[in-house]
Amino acid sequence: MRFVARLASLRLQSKVNRSVWGDLLLFLFLAVFGAFMALPLVYSINNAFKPLDELFLFPPRFFVRNPTMSNFTDLFHLLSNSWVPFLRYAFNTVFITAVGTIGHVLLASAAAFPLAKHKFRGNKILFSVIVLALMFSPHVTAIPNYMVIGQLGWIDTYSAIIIPAFAFPLGLYLMKQFMEQIPDALMEAAKIDGASEYRIFWTIVMPLVKPAWLTLTILLFQILWGTDGGTMIYSEKLKTLNYALGQIVSGGIARAGAGAAVALLLMSVPILLFVFTQSKIIQTMATSGMKE
Amino acid sequence: MIKVRLTQEQKKGRMGVLFLAPWLIGFLLLFALPIVESLKYSLSQLELTAEGMSLHFIGLENFKTAFLEHPAYNRILTESIVDMLVNVPLIIFFSLFSATLLNQKFRFRGLARAIFFLPVILASGALLGVEGGDIMQSVMQSANSEQGGNLSLLQSFELERMLIQSGANESVVAYLTDAVNRIYEIISRSGVQILIFLAGLQSISPSLYEAARIEGATGYEAFWKITFPVISPLILTNLIYSIIDAFSSNKMTRLIQETAFKTFDFGLSSAMSWIYFMCISVILFILYMLIARKVFYYD
Repeated sequence: MRFVARLASLRLQSKVNRSVWGDLLLFLFLAVFGAFMALPLVYSINNAFKPLDELFLFPPRFFVRNPTMSNFTDLFHLLSNSWVPFLRYAFNTVFITAVGTIGHVLLASAAAFPLAKHKFRGNKILFSVIVLALMFSPHVTAIPNYMVIGQLGWIDTYSAIIIPAFAFPLGLYLMKQFMEQIPDALMEAAKIDGASEYRIFWTIVMPLVKPAWLTLTILLFQILWGTDGGTMIYSEKLKTLNYALGQIVSGGIARAGAGAAVALLLMSVPILLFVFTQSKIIQTMATSGMKE
Repeated sequence: MIKVRLTQEQKKGRMGVLFLAPWLIGFLLLFALPIVESLKYSLSQLELTAEGMSLHFIGLENFKTAFLEHPAYNRILTESIVDMLVNVPLIIFFSLFSATLLNQKFRFRGLARAIFFLPVILASGALLGVEGGDIMQSVMQSANSEQGGNLSLLQSFELERMLIQSGANESVVAYLTDAVNRIYEIISRSGVQILIFLAGLQSISPSLYEAARIEGATGYEAFWKITFPVISPLILTNLIYSIIDAFSSNKMTRLIQETAFKTFDFGLSSAMSWIYFMCISVILFILYMLIARKVFYYD
């Protein structure tokens, strides 16, 4: 633990005099562990540009020798020949992901606010029910879940995926934990100045927990982006990108090149979103301007 | 005076319910209801008939089968709990460590953060969907496990011999070497936790550190007196998240899934997951009680 503390403290000293050793240590740590995590990505990038003969080379080579775009052109040929237009799959995924993510973040934040900052009866019980729900294995509830959605008449509609996403317990849990850290005094001050609960929520609470909801956005996006409609959607025209691309890959060995290209395409969107949202996060200073 | 305060409180409460309602309705319908249904399944025998399915109430029969008759259930249950108890502290430690590093200002910070989040993206449905008959995936996976395996075997072997020779406590050594062996698993499971810690670190006001520096605090002191207390609620958050995450994909859930969808014994499967669920709840409750009191809130 002492080691952690020392490393953590580098940030503080660094503004005054950044020590060369600290930098080196930091770099080393990031490089070693970063390599662990980045290798699969580097490998799949390389794979996407490998011609077929290199893809099946044994033993497999890590880096590509003769990079080619043929995997991507193959993929586009396959897609333009598909029965349902490719753009339709793409639209389905984008629609489900966007609506599901935005809706979840909004509803979960709104619900987290009273749980974190208002005292009302049943507050604690409700929260423990949420934590309990969080740890229930999704496989067990698969059948009852299907039946509930069936009775609501949502089978084979977007709602079957989107609306359960609104009610995931994860977001509420995270948002509540972050909102709890906002000092009550800030909200009291706003109330004395005549702000309504609604206004407090939008102009004080939400800006302060921006890192939290940006994080939640990434998590939800990442879950929904990977959905393939599962058992809930069976019309071809409502299926998602992930499903369509999975179909291409299941074409077997001849599709290995296109498959590698697919993997890269599917991966790149969440990664880009991640980089984008992370660049938007700045210090929010929940406790600045507080005097006790 | 008291009357006015009460109505204020009530008003506040009503407002709270209003904020809570949309989410709560969805939650009760789509999460709570299925969970209650599964409890019903666990107490009955489920038969598929031409008209759909029928339930016969059989009491605790399914629970008995899981404990007393199932060949692997008890073993897998203890294994996954022990696994969790080893992994979770390491995940918390590693992710707090990484997050404090990644929160510093250096060039390519965004890139470094993205790399540490990669395992979460790679492990997600987006890639699992393209699994079918994919050689790349299998090569990638074997490559991963090989890297992890080889490296860690080498390390822990050296470490173990060294430590035992230097006369360290054997159980401590066993824990440490086990930890090193799990390094790949731990790294790849701490992406979300790093992100949560990062979000927490970013909401600490720099003026606190400034004040500490002016007062002459060392970096070490600043970490323990500022960073650690402010981040402590999130340690609890991450602890709970990690436990849940550790339980969301392991041998146990696979067994539950197989029982449900391969042998089609939904009752037994539900009973298994309820036992499992109880175990996690007890562990979570104990940990929560131990840690929640130590957590610091700004107010």
